[in-house]
Amino acid sequence: MNLLPFVASGIGLGGIYALASVGLVILYRASGTLNFAFGAFGALSAFLAWDLSNNGGVPPPIAWLFGIAASTGLAYAYGRIVAPRMAHRDRVVRAVATLGLALIILGALAWYYGVGIARRIPLPTDRDFIVLFGVRISATRLVALGIALLMAVGVGLLLSRTRIGLAMRALASDRKISATIGIQVTRIDSFAWLVNGAFAGIAGILLANLNRLDPPFLTFLVIPAIASAILGRLSSLPGAFIGGMAAGMIEAVLTGVPEVSHFRSAGPYVAALLFLTVVGTGQGVGARE
Amino acid sequence: MIRIESLTVQFGGVRPLDALEGEFKAPICGLIGPNGAGKTTLLNVLSGFVRPVKGTTYLDGVALTGLSPARRTALGLRRTFQQEQVVDELTADENVQAIADHICPNRHDAHNEVKSALSFIGLAGRANVLGRQLNLFERRLIEIGKTLVGRPKAILLDEPGAGLNDSETDKLRSLLKEIPGRFGAQLVLIDHDADLIASLCIETMVLDFGKLLAFGPTRTVLDAPIVRQAYLGTG
Amino acid sequence: MTELGKTGAYPVAVGTSLGGALFIPRNVAIVVVVSAVTALIALTAGGFWLSNFTQAYCIVLALLGCALLYGQLGLVSLCQWALVGAGGWVALRVYHSFHPPFVVTILAGGVGASVIGMLWGLPALRMRGLYLALVTLMLAGAFQVLISVTSFPVGGPGFLGQVGMSGNDRVMMARPIFASSDTAYFLFVGFMVMLAIFLVETHRRSKPGRAWALIRKNEQMAMASGVHIVFYKAWAFALSGFLAGVAGALMAGLFGQLDDSAFAPTDSITIFIGTLLGGTGVWLGPFLGGILTRFIPALLIDYNVNSYVGLLFFGMALTHALTQAPEGLGGQLTALAERLYEKFKRRRTS
Repeated sequence: MNLLPFVASGIGLGGIYALASVGLVILYRASGTLNFAFGAFGALSAFLAWDLSNNGGVPPPIAWLFGIAASTGLAYAYGRIVAPRMAHRDRVVRAVATLGLALIILGALAWYYGVGIARRIPLPTDRDFIVLFGVRISATRLVALGIALLMAVGVGLLLSRTRIGLAMRALASDRKISATIGIQVTRIDSFAWLVNGAFAGIAGILLANLNRLDPPFLTFLVIPAIASAILGRLSSLPGAFIGGMAAGMIEAVLTGVPEVSHFRSAGPYVAALLFLTVVGTGQGVGARE
Repeated sequence: MIRIESLTVQFGGVRPLDALEGEFKAPICGLIGPNGAGKTTLLNVLSGFVRPVKGTTYLDGVALTGLSPARRTALGLRRTFQQEQVVDELTADENVQAIADHICPNRHDAHNEVKSALSFIGLAGRANVLGRQLNLFERRLIEIGKTLVGRPKAILLDEPGAGLNDSETDKLRSLLKEIPGRFGAQLVLIDHDADLIASLCIETMVLDFGKLLAFGPTRTVLDAPIVRQAYLGTG
Repeated sequence: MTELGKTGAYPVAVGTSLGGALFIPRNVAIVVVVSAVTALIALTAGGFWLSNFTQAYCIVLALLGCALLYGQLGLVSLCQWALVGAGGWVALRVYHSFHPPFVVTILAGGVGASVIGMLWGLPALRMRGLYLALVTLMLAGAFQVLISVTSFPVGGPGFLGQVGMSGNDRVMMARPIFASSDTAYFLFVGFMVMLAIFLVETHRRSKPGRAWALIRKNEQMAMASGVHIVFYKAWAFALSGFLAGVAGALMAGLFGQLDDSAFAPTDSITIFIGTLLGGTGVWLGPFLGGILTRFIPALLIDYNVNSYVGLLFFGMALTHALTQAPEGLGGQLTALAERLYEKFKRRRTS
């Protein structure tokens, strides 16, 4: 049973999950909000990019930029306008609010673009591949991994080397104290949302290439992304990255095992569940939320 | 009768309680100290929410180590919290009934005990009023009422008079005074109101930085220079 | 803890009336309202709408469970519809194996889902807030994958009861003799809904309800009040699961079989949203929420509108509920009724 080809294909999916997971964790750590609309943002970006290049005659790279800009802008707007109004509510409420946003975006996209139509976003790297250990790895998959790595490292550097990164870390550690020492909470939060939107935009386009361009499918990316983030304990960036790679790999590898290949999509969920029950949340009964 | 032996609590590098010793014998006892002295921590250890690294606590001779909070309540320990814990969606009666459900042996007893607790605190007429419609004084009274069901042996009160005005504090004082006689329970009272402590508590324990500063008859303790120093010195 | 479900600044409390001490006994109100609505639907709806309203009532049952966990304990469950599927599976399995009386099948579905719900719930009992919500979401995801592989029993051999590709030997679950027509079945389900509402209300007004209220307010205080936290949380999970399982069994009876694609995690998310839209403070919340959750998509299908427009509606309604109406539709209607009653009383005495 040669699983290497599946491992190879898992690289791409893992990269996307890693990207999504890191994006989610950054926002969660900074603002305490788990963004259920992450996938929806990605879907928005992908559809806009596709529509512009397919029907609008815009050169694909520009179209992708527009898509990413749209998801980034929408996320920023939410973080600037809506999120502050919800800031005093508890985490579950804030997460559910983003769920509302996800439904609105999904509903609009599904209505306008239709569901279940076979579409993909083609990327120039689709035809290229390298051969590693006798296994074909498509260039796009490597690109996905590369982008995920680049962005994760970039954001990591942002957090550790820049002032705004320091402010974000302070906010993640203690919101109330951060506010009293003069950290502009709303500004930092909005920035975290912006980063989240950018990550979502890129992840959406990549997934629309790797898999399919379909509103519900892209929107529900958020579920395995959350599973990946859980594997990273919702707090560490390297953990989130590894969690995403692991989730993608598990799912891909399970495809290659005939007895359980049907269950492959459950891979991330089961992994997250096992992780949560065995390792725990690190919170305990009396912990602060 | 609450006894404390060599009680030490440690959180990381901090020792909220350090080798505390003492025995509360009087019907009403005070527990005072500046902010951060460890008073609420002591109550939390007695309640079973915090595990000490050293030492033991006893209720009427029974060692409380390892017993769950619910078990300690069954043994006769009761407490109120700094922030009153009245449930908005339940009526005054239901708030007290909620604890009687688990402490009283049968439904008939429970019902009677709730009734007598409510009439003792003077809220019999407000029994069917929802928690959210009760004012602060009434909510503080409910907190006390909850401790009176099911044959309490020792009642720990964490700042029961916080936020009350003078006349309400007076009413509270006369109420608390009657509890040992009426219900046979010992009271241990934390409060910042020196007058309340002086007028109610026969003996008082003073904590500072987790250590025992003084313990004895209330007036003596309150007049002791070392106690005054602790309060005035640390603000 | 969470504050969704509390009323706004209404002078009169929600949760005691629409059948409280104020004007009519709550139990009478439940019987009257549920009967009236059920009768109205039974008399006016046919075929397509009758089936949809029956499904709506099953959703009401699921919502009752979800609202119990959320309203009473502040626990977010995003796997309630998966439990409905689990209950449906158990009901179908029991039916095909034993052909017992219909009520037994329903109970089996309820108990089955209850046990499964508790198994899932036990590790999660130590979790709260967002983590619990996420765990339940993961469970819903895992369930969808599981059921897509095992499918629902259709009278075939073996534990899974499948019949292979031919499809000829599929056996549908039969409805009970006393409720075999669509209308009769709907009335039967309506009766089940009424019983379920009474079951939940009885819990709320007695010992478990009070214990849950203490736990929700402050777990430490609850412990200090002698409440066995794990036991009461488990009880809530068990009851919530039971209601979901009964819903699943009734769905199986409605269609004769169940479709694996109908139990996705997003359906469980819809259930939770329906819980928020209806509100958790009053029994009317799940009742209205359930009807609405099915009614809107059905309306869209009827008018040939893309069903995803329904999601758009739900998203907006959810945002509205979160920002303006935390007590939900049920809470708002109840408060309205109370205010009208207060006005009426004042006019009569003045």
